[in-house]
Amino acid sequence: MLRPRSRPRNRERLSILRPARDFSGFALPGLFLYGVLVLVPIGWTVVLGFTDRNRFDPQTSWVGLDQFSHLLQDDQFWLVLKNTFVVTAIVVIVPNALGLAIALLLDRETRLYRLLRSVFFTPVILSGIVVSVIWQSVLRPDGVLNRVLADAGVESAPGWLSDPGIALFSISGIICWQMLGFCVVVYLAGLNGVPRELYEAAIVDGAGWWRRFRSVTWPMIASAVTINTVMLLISGFKVYEHILVLTNGGPGRNTTASIAFDVIEKGVRGDRIGFAAAEATIMLAVIVVLSGVVLRLLQRREVHL
Amino acid sequence: MRDRFEVVRPIAAIALAAVFFFPVYVVVMGMLKPPEEIQSSPLGLPVPPTGENFSAVLGREDGLYWSALLNSVQITVLSVLALTLLSAMLAHYLVRSKARWTRPALLMLLAGLMIPPAVILQPVTQVLGAAGLMNSVAGVVCANVAYYLPFGVFVFSGFIGTVPVEMEEAASIDGASRFRMFWQVVFPTLRPAAASVMIFLGVWVWNDFLTPLVVLGPESGTTVTVGVYRSVGEYSTNFGTLYAFSFLASLPVLLFFVALQKQFVAGLTAGSVK
Repeated sequence: MLRPRSRPRNRERLSILRPARDFSGFALPGLFLYGVLVLVPIGWTVVLGFTDRNRFDPQTSWVGLDQFSHLLQDDQFWLVLKNTFVVTAIVVIVPNALGLAIALLLDRETRLYRLLRSVFFTPVILSGIVVSVIWQSVLRPDGVLNRVLADAGVESAPGWLSDPGIALFSISGIICWQMLGFCVVVYLAGLNGVPRELYEAAIVDGAGWWRRFRSVTWPMIASAVTINTVMLLISGFKVYEHILVLTNGGPGRNTTASIAFDVIEKGVRGDRIGFAAAEATIMLAVIVVLSGVVLRLLQRREVHL
Repeated sequence: MRDRFEVVRPIAAIALAAVFFFPVYVVVMGMLKPPEEIQSSPLGLPVPPTGENFSAVLGREDGLYWSALLNSVQITVLSVLALTLLSAMLAHYLVRSKARWTRPALLMLLAGLMIPPAVILQPVTQVLGAAGLMNSVAGVVCANVAYYLPFGVFVFSGFIGTVPVEMEEAASIDGASRFRMFWQVVFPTLRPAAASVMIFLGVWVWNDFLTPLVVLGPESGTTVTVGVYRSVGEYSTNFGTLYAFSFLASLPVLLFFVALQKQFVAGLTAGSVK
């Protein structure tokens, strides 16, 4: 480091990386794995969607858009797609709104509030399977919730996981419970980044609590809103484990099945791989378009200091 | 008005947190009770607490918990180490290289953040099968590294952009080799980013369900997360044992969280405030 500086420093000639040699050492291993185990599989899924592949029939042939037109005429596909949108909408809205409210409540730097922050964050680090086991103990027919309701005099307690009109909302609620702490912590970080002077200036101007929230806090935490919304959108859209453990797609046929659940079930059964691939292709297109649009809309209102 | 709310604030916060935590309470109490007591008083405290659920899980004849724990530890440690190294090097290359393709490559990688596993699962098993990696820990590690690489690259590339390039230039004038330069000069400056990558990926890989379920398959054992799922059916009448299994499966990440709480929050903060 302490060599004489008389040597001319030619910035143009001094490249940090020597392209050909460093590519194989630095970039290739990661790109290779990503290519072989993510990009190729995506392409493969899209291609399979145009075939009638079936694990029990070695003869696979091209069927053009047949699988897609079958899908669009299949009531079950529309049901599963609708379920996915219901879950995703609830999961995007509820933890976002509640998370912000709780972050405002916990926005104090004492030991109590740090402890409560961890309480809300705990489900975030648990697996979907464990979270489902936890909620099953509360929501099953003879579970804790219905026994509490019975003690309170409610005669016919609802079937939280067995009533087709309720089960999908129970599952959405459980995912909200799991994601809430994530939103709380991201919002707390966002609130922490708002300069105190802005609040002081607003108070001097006579702004009340709501006015300060609307005009200072809300615009200043825009990037936290973006992070949470995109994260929730992706988690809501790929929901699978909770459904598998809690309802296995039922009660009845597909009343709580999501598109991810349906694709995986069909893939595991193996009798309609082409059909499942067409469904997965639609799923991929929807999530890419949806998160692209949401990201663009939300980033437009982010303020940069 | 403002002062009055400051009195209500801790009460409201504690009450909300208590309601929120109620399901966890039920399970934690349940795992310390014999089956009859879970039925008769699900909400009461376990007096006296029993260890029979834990000994039932830990002392299973097939040793499921212990073999699953070994698999989980192997898969998590290997995946996280490989991911940290590969994504740091790749992000460094993509950010620093002047080649024109690196910008689109970076965007393509970041798009990978939102691919649902269900979309690629079927072909991934075919690729791993062709490579002879199905039913093995190595296969799960490869699938994890590929799937989570975008997250690592996302965090590292954001961070590398903030590290001054002059330091690397100085090192390369000194004639250090590329790899030495990277490990001795660049990587130490990336430590905060590496910490959040390792923390988040550690938790995600540990909790992963679908990949180990399908890639390990029933023959090669399970991870603890898959083990919990397998025992849901098995212990359908014995909730205490199921709760104990769930607790033991989550214990490593819970301890990890308690130990690294500050870094967890710092990791989220770095991502969200930038």
